[in-house]
Amino acid sequence: MTERLTLYAMRLGAIAFLLAIWEGITRTGMADPNFVGQPSKIYSDLVEGLITEGHIWPELGFTLYTTLLSFVIGAGAAIIFGLLFVLFPKAEKVLEPILAAFNAMPRTALAPLLIVWFGLGIWSKVAIGASLCFFIVLQNTVAGIRGVNADHVTLARTLGLSRSELFWKITMPGAVPVMFAGLRLGLVVALLGVVAGEIIASRHGVGQQISYLAAAFDMSGVWALLFVLAFAGMILAWLLDVIEARLNRWH
Amino acid sequence: MRTQEQKPSGARAASEVTTDTPILEFNGATIKFGNVTAATDVDLKVERGEFLCIVGPSGCGKTTMLNYAAGLLPEKVLAGGDINVFGETPEEGHSDIAYMLARDSLLPWRTALGNAEFGAEARRTPKNVRRERALRLMQRVGLEGFESSFPKELSHGMRQRVALARTFCLDANLLLMDEPFGALDAQTKLQLEDLLLELWQGSDRTIVFITHDLSEAIALGDRVVVMAARPGRIIADVKIDLPRPRKIGQLQKDQAFHDYHAKIWSTLEDGFATS
Repeated sequence: MTERLTLYAMRLGAIAFLLAIWEGITRTGMADPNFVGQPSKIYSDLVEGLITEGHIWPELGFTLYTTLLSFVIGAGAAIIFGLLFVLFPKAEKVLEPILAAFNAMPRTALAPLLIVWFGLGIWSKVAIGASLCFFIVLQNTVAGIRGVNADHVTLARTLGLSRSELFWKITMPGAVPVMFAGLRLGLVVALLGVVAGEIIASRHGVGQQISYLAAAFDMSGVWALLFVLAFAGMILAWLLDVIEARLNRWH
Repeated sequence: MRTQEQKPSGARAASEVTTDTPILEFNGATIKFGNVTAATDVDLKVERGEFLCIVGPSGCGKTTMLNYAAGLLPEKVLAGGDINVFGETPEEGHSDIAYMLARDSLLPWRTALGNAEFGAEARRTPKNVRRERALRLMQRVGLEGFESSFPKELSHGMRQRVALARTFCLDANLLLMDEPFGALDAQTKLQLEDLLLELWQGSDRTIVFITHDLSEAIALGDRVVVMAARPGRIIADVKIDLPRPRKIGQLQKDQAFHDYHAKIWSTLEDGFATS
């Protein structure tokens, strides 16, 4: 326990040290605070945006709602496709190179196109986030299902399990941890896609605010939002960890 | 061990199975994978209640023979002769066969008890029957109190004990065991060999036990069949007349045990020389 406390203390110390240097060089004029931001200003922006005025919350809420929507659509479609690919290997053979090519395409570069197609509202961001999330979850779903332990399959065969019993009793439970790794990453990537979409063109969201503040040369404001996003991303990943821990007590 | 009666290959009706029917028989069986001969001209009969050990170097086809008997291989690999289980063509998932591997193959998301009863569950043994059987077996394999532990919380030896419980929980007449203790350390292996004997003695279950460890084969078996590699074939078939019940630890002090070892060992050496 004391060991963990020391670790946390040292971490905090490292962060404090970096912030102090940052604050110092912007105060002494070695760097322009309008250009790199300033910790004390970031702090007051955070207090203002989250507590006294609270204007960050609706933007964050919008971004998180969009992220969740992207995640549900992207991951849901990915799991369905993953199952289909395993059930019908032919389908994967046909679609695999097409999907690989689409995956290799930088999705954020596709954003302007998606914004034209889906408009300035929420759906263009959902399209970006979901398309990023989709591929990661798809890969992990297929890998998880394919990664079934060969000994377990032998055991199942000697026990006379049917194909569907093999799938539900052996393949799926074994695939869950790998799928969850994909879901965790997919959620974070969906957030990334949504924010990128908001930066490019949006009326709401944290990304839109970042783009606005950066254009106004309010770097401390940008940093404040970046910290909020980092924190939100960590919370999202942690939530999935909690769900996974409940599902996979054995892992 | 030449077979006396020659009968047509293929399945016989279940009604023809009598107590005289060998549980498992290989009649001049040759197994080939493409051009590679895994085992050639194997003649072997395993009687009900017999504990048969097959010992041989890797590549001698012993696992192939076992897998064929378990119905895990396509029929076309049988290039000659025939192989019958309970007087019939081998069948995958046969309800009277329990198969055990070197690795425990426990399902990590199931508790020890859940794993012990998994086989019986897969074969649709009623829940209360299999639960009761699994609980009793957990006790017999010395894992009372570990019923709700997950495999990752158990040691290698304990996991293989659970696998033993799962195997016996099937209540099958024929147990096919492919080096079940091959991956264990020497100490644990001795304990589990004793455990296996305890579980088997007094039943009329038939065991075909594959190992590359000659001492293990002699200590456990009623009969030891020695195989050589390239091509896989039987080079000796020795009846082991050591009294039962046996204790593995005691056998080490038994001269007869060592005599068997020396005798079969020289056969093995001859086998290597000619292969």
